[in-house]
Amino acid sequence: MSYKDLSKKEKTQVLKQLREEHADTVKRTQALLKEQNAIRKKIRGALGEESRTVTQVANIVDMPTHEVMWHISAMRKYDLVAEDGMEDFVDVLYKLVEEK
Amino acid sequence: MDINKIKADALVVGGGIAGMQSALDLADQGYQVVLVEKDPSIGGKMIQLSKVFPTLDCCSCITTPKMSAVANHANIQTLTYCEVQSIDNADGHFVAQILKKPRYVDEDDCTGCRQCEYVCPIDVPSVFDLNMTARRAIRVPFSTAVPQLAVLDIENCILCGKCARACPADAVDFTQTAYEIELEVDAIVLATGFETTPIDAKKEYGAGNLHNVIDGLMMERLLAPTGPYARVLRPGDGKEPESIAYVQCAGSRDETLGVEYCSRVCCMYAIKQAMLIAGALPMADITLYYMDIRAFGKGYDQFYQNAQAMGIEFVKGKVAKITEDENQNPVVRVELIDEGQVVERTHDMIVLSVGMVPQYNPGSVYSVGVGEYGFIKSPAPNISSTETNRSGIFATGAATAPMDIVDSIASASAAASGAAAHLEAVQGGN
Amino acid sequence: MTETSDLKNEEIKIGVYTCYCGGNISDVVKCEKVADALREMPNVVVSRTNMAMCSDVGQSIIEEDIKSKGLNRVIVGACAPSLHEQTFRGTVSRAGLNPYLYHHVGLREQNSWVHGNNPGEATKKAIRLMLAGLAKARLLKPLDAIKLEAEVHALVIGGGVAGLRSAYDIARRGIRVTLIEKTPFLGGRMAQLETVFPTNNQAREDLHDLIEKVTQHPNITLYTSAEMVGYGGYIGNYEVQIRQQSRGVSGDIAEAALAACTQEIPDEFNYGLTKRKVIYRAYEGCYPSDPAVDWEHYDGKPLDIDGKEVVFENTIKTFDLKVGAIVMATGFNPYEPPKGDYGYGELPEVVTLPQFIRYMGFRESSDELTWNGRPVRDIAVIHCVGSRHVAGVHDPQPDGILNNYCSRVCCTAALHQVNELREEFPQLNVYDFYNDIRTYGLEHEAYYKEASQNMVRFLRFHVDERPEVAAAPAGDTHPVLVKGKDYLTNGLEIEAAVDLVILAVGIIPNPVPELVDLMKIPVGDDRFLLEVHPKLRPVETPVPGVVLAGTAQSPMNIQESCNAASAAAAKVSALLAKGQVILEPFVAKVDLEKCDGTGKCVEVCEYEDAIAVKTITIDGKEVQRAVVTPANCSGCGNCVSACPNKAVEVQGWEVAQFEAMVEALAMEVEA
Ligand SMILES: Cc1cc2nc3c(=O)[nH]c(=O)nc-3n(C[C@H](O)[C@H](O)[C@H](O)COP(=O)(O)OP(=O)(O)OC[C@H]3O[C@@H](n4cnc5c(N)ncnc54)[C@H](O)[C@@H]3O)c2cc1C
Ligand SMILES: Cc1cc2nc3c(=O)[nH]c(=O)nc-3n(C[C@H](O)[C@H](O)[C@H](O)COP(=O)(O)OP(=O)(O)OC[C@H]3O[C@@H](n4cnc5c(N)ncnc54)[C@H](O)[C@@H]3O)c2cc1C
Ligand code: SF4
Repeated sequence: MSYKDLSKKEKTQVLKQLREEHADTVKRTQALLKEQNAIRKKIRGALGEESRTVTQVANIVDMPTHEVMWHISAMRKYDLVAEDGMEDFVDVLYKLVEEK
Repeated sequence: MDINKIKADALVVGGGIAGMQSALDLADQGYQVVLVEKDPSIGGKMIQLSKVFPTLDCCSCITTPKMSAVANHANIQTLTYCEVQSIDNADGHFVAQILKKPRYVDEDDCTGCRQCEYVCPIDVPSVFDLNMTARRAIRVPFSTAVPQLAVLDIENCILCGKCARACPADAVDFTQTAYEIELEVDAIVLATGFETTPIDAKKEYGAGNLHNVIDGLMMERLLAPTGPYARVLRPGDGKEPESIAYVQCAGSRDETLGVEYCSRVCCMYAIKQAMLIAGALPMADITLYYMDIRAFGKGYDQFYQNAQAMGIEFVKGKVAKITEDENQNPVVRVELIDEGQVVERTHDMIVLSVGMVPQYNPGSVYSVGVGEYGFIKSPAPNISSTETNRSGIFATGAATAPMDIVDSIASASAAASGAAAHLEAVQGGN
Repeated sequence: MTETSDLKNEEIKIGVYTCYCGGNISDVVKCEKVADALREMPNVVVSRTNMAMCSDVGQSIIEEDIKSKGLNRVIVGACAPSLHEQTFRGTVSRAGLNPYLYHHVGLREQNSWVHGNNPGEATKKAIRLMLAGLAKARLLKPLDAIKLEAEVHALVIGGGVAGLRSAYDIARRGIRVTLIEKTPFLGGRMAQLETVFPTNNQAREDLHDLIEKVTQHPNITLYTSAEMVGYGGYIGNYEVQIRQQSRGVSGDIAEAALAACTQEIPDEFNYGLTKRKVIYRAYEGCYPSDPAVDWEHYDGKPLDIDGKEVVFENTIKTFDLKVGAIVMATGFNPYEPPKGDYGYGELPEVVTLPQFIRYMGFRESSDELTWNGRPVRDIAVIHCVGSRHVAGVHDPQPDGILNNYCSRVCCTAALHQVNELREEFPQLNVYDFYNDIRTYGLEHEAYYKEASQNMVRFLRFHVDERPEVAAAPAGDTHPVLVKGKDYLTNGLEIEAAVDLVILAVGIIPNPVPELVDLMKIPVGDDRFLLEVHPKLRPVETPVPGVVLAGTAQSPMNIQESCNAASAAAAKVSALLAKGQVILEPFVAKVDLEKCDGTGKCVEVCEYEDAIAVKTITIDGKEVQRAVVTPANCSGCGNCVSACPNKAVEVQGWEVAQFEAMVEALAMEVEA
């Protein structure tokens, strides 16, 4: 029987069982998620007031530029930030995308 | 009837351009083909590329229709996310045990709408984009994936179940487990392709620690319309580079790395990328540091001459070392051959023209012979380059040697020809 | 015809799709604007864009729309029709639509690629092109592809390694093959090589293995001294004429004739370095093993054989064949430098690499390398002779074409030769003048490395400063001086005194103008036969059923020639294995009511047996009417314009469709 045919309770059961089977993974990914959420919050904060470049964001959140770049590209990919013109012709500015 | 047993004429392993072409050529001759691909989508390396030399067609124009042709061919069954575990001989046939990995998504129900991907809370590095951006634990591999289906990667999943709740088709299936398929065929074509030489292999070139030193495949992604930044930017800080340099033979023709051969495509892809960058960033200075430019194929030397005419600077030089200045700008130390002197030059971004190494060692499963560098070797490389030392097993594409797409396609059709002749001989006509 | 009438009453519902082509189109043309403009038009049910319509996703959208929205016409604006028209015909037909209810509009080659500098106008043009496509789509009718029985028989032209490989692979698929070779002997250029890279095997040993397989295969018929002289028909049903010259000598008197013959000419097998008789074998062990008479040079005088005067006669045999497909494996020639270039033809110490390979093949082995009786201690090799020419630096060839391509094999072949020399004669000193060393294959770089480690002195020239070869002043230690600048040592002036200069000459195609004319196959800017598309259809020509194998297409080494040959065989097998071929229905069609049999159409038709006036019976009456043989019709439309009664149309390209398109093209649009 596939997942969609299960009752709500059974679904919870399946997930719980999987979590037990993959306990290490879940522990690791949950930690990662927590860290990621914290970083994203900071980045959103930095972009909250005005559009900024990766370097500017990095200065505000006190993280290496390449890491900020990765997060911003991820956020851009999933439509959470968008480009907003260029600074000094070479540096892309990013802004937050309004939640729909 | 046991649904996990399949019979076909031929098995093609690997769904890159070579495997797809072999499968199509066999299927067009009326043979039943099963194509096994270990990844969730077919397409191979080529689907990651931007545009391809020497015609500069966008890679999707060539690859995606081939992928579609494979998916829609009445004589081809495609098994993605599958791996061949063993091959046995039974009554003169090959019997393959194939492991189907769980997608955790019902292949019949999923429509590829990506809603699961959008609600998945966790971002992990996207291998498809060479880790330059993220993907979710559940995702459609890329926009033109075939099949266009989501796949959940349990190793990065937090098992929160959001995707299952979001899926309008109720396709997420946490009860899936791996299962085996038994496939009986009379011929096998190995098209398991290549990997690029690792970017961190060379200490002298920063061992992968310099963020604005990238490799050729990363530049392909940056140039692709669906790339990680949707434009060419420095991964180190998101700035648009104004001066970009290529370091040729980074990882090929290099004894210290055990890759003594020429990887055959890097000169041409570097020239191609240089031309594409010149289009994307018209103000940028582009330099290639090279020892020999190997533009040997049909139309390739003219392509090289066009690049020179466009103002791309070709500098005969050996790059000894790459370091970084305080602004994350890579600095190359290069011996300029024509001038006979060693200089340091600063660029905004360096692309290492990395080479090709085999992706898969077929030894334990297929028992076919490989050469000194791990590429599958033919006992008669000149006359029958796609044969292996096992009758009925053929090899093609970059799995047999570094080669470009044009040569891979010729090799793939040749392998199909060999496999078809073998089938004709063992089956006596079809 | 029920389908047509059904459609007449049906409402026309058109799906319009504008492709971004991954930026190729959308970077210039505002695709969304195009889609918007089309959406407003009558009959358009849906107008969409996509990053890549040809992708599986893009195609699925069309299929889905056909099914859910009941579309009965589809147009896609994308790359050139030559690339993906077939792809989309397949798409609509999978969704249950007649494939000819699809129309393809070229927005890339015919628009975005050529109007990159004017995006505004390009968008307008795109809209107009799409409107024209739409206008035509409204008038599309379902058509049936023409299905014809195919001859399960292939003709392979050329008996070099590529032709042999192709013939063998096709035959092994159960298809009959006729292989014709122009010269009296099989093997082509490979027979003239000694050991070959990357295996270091004896070329003729590998070649003979293959020849044996070919000659023993029951499906293969072989004709040597044979050429194709007539050609007609179409894919699946080519009618060709073969002319074969006689061998001249047969089994029992062969040896005696060979012995008796005294007339000699330069031996082309050894590139003129030696002479051979006009009754000859190409080489010892050649196939067929019987000697042959060289009719071109034989002076016609009688020979005394066993006391009898014998005059040899060339009885030329001509015969017809029906074949379904043709493989072009006509091979290459080594480039021959003009007299005086690098001293070639003037200084006896200057030879080409193929000549030198022959010399090493036929010379008596000894401890010392000699040339013209003189010991050879110093050799210069010069790369890229006849290849990689640059406009402004090199002169074009006599035909006006610049050899601007790399010949691909000469670098590795030259280094392989040099390494063998150094091994056999360790005292030999070698200067290698090159521009780039292109040992590109997996096993090729090893030859370069070996040469470098083996004391070969590499000297790098710039394309615009080619090395110069001149006779040394009298009394010098060496006969020849090679002068050049070496950019590996900072542009140092080099003067190498040598005993022998080997020119690593390139590969030029073996010209086949008669075949090109007969078959109308295209030739590229480099004179090689041209494929349709290097990645999508790399061994096919635009002439259906005619494929390319080996160096007729471009420079290739043996491995690449054989791969291409096997690839050609795969295409031929796919084509003929079914015993049936499918042709496009874009052929002339006569409206029997309007036709009154004037025959104007027949007068203007350029194709044989495509249209003829025949007596047919209509309503019990015998009348004269034009009748089309679809398989022979090219769809050129000459007859359409000639017919006084407007009784002929080309299916799929009817006059009314053109008129509608022209009208649409002239429309004023906004972008
Ligand atoms: C940076 C870069 C740029 C390039 N640009 C160009 C260009 O412009 N033009 C050009 O002609 N060439 C170019 N190339 C070369 C081109 O990528 C290759 O020629 C081509 O991709 C080779 O195709 P393939 O099918 O042999 O291998 P791959 O593309 O590697 O495909 C192999 C497939 O097999 C699968 N696989 C591997 N092992 C297994 C297994 N055990 N079981 C099942 N499946 C398996 C893989 O997942 C993959 O899908 C470029 C290469 C690089 C690195
Ligand atoms: C100097 C040199 C060294 C080389 N060394 C190597 C090496 O070491 N390793 C390697 O891999 N490759 C090497 N090559 C390349 C190799 O020679 C070619 O790849 C190979 O011979 C090409 O074979 P082919 O069948 O395409 O052409 P060909 O050998 O030219 O055969 C074409 C055949 O077609 C026949 N023909 C032509 N026109 C007609 C017609 N109209 N009708 C009927 N028949 C016709 C010709 O007579 C000929 O027999 C070398 C090439 C050169 C020039
Ligand atoms: S293979 Fe070498 S010698 Fe031949 S044309 Fe190319 S670069 Fe020149």
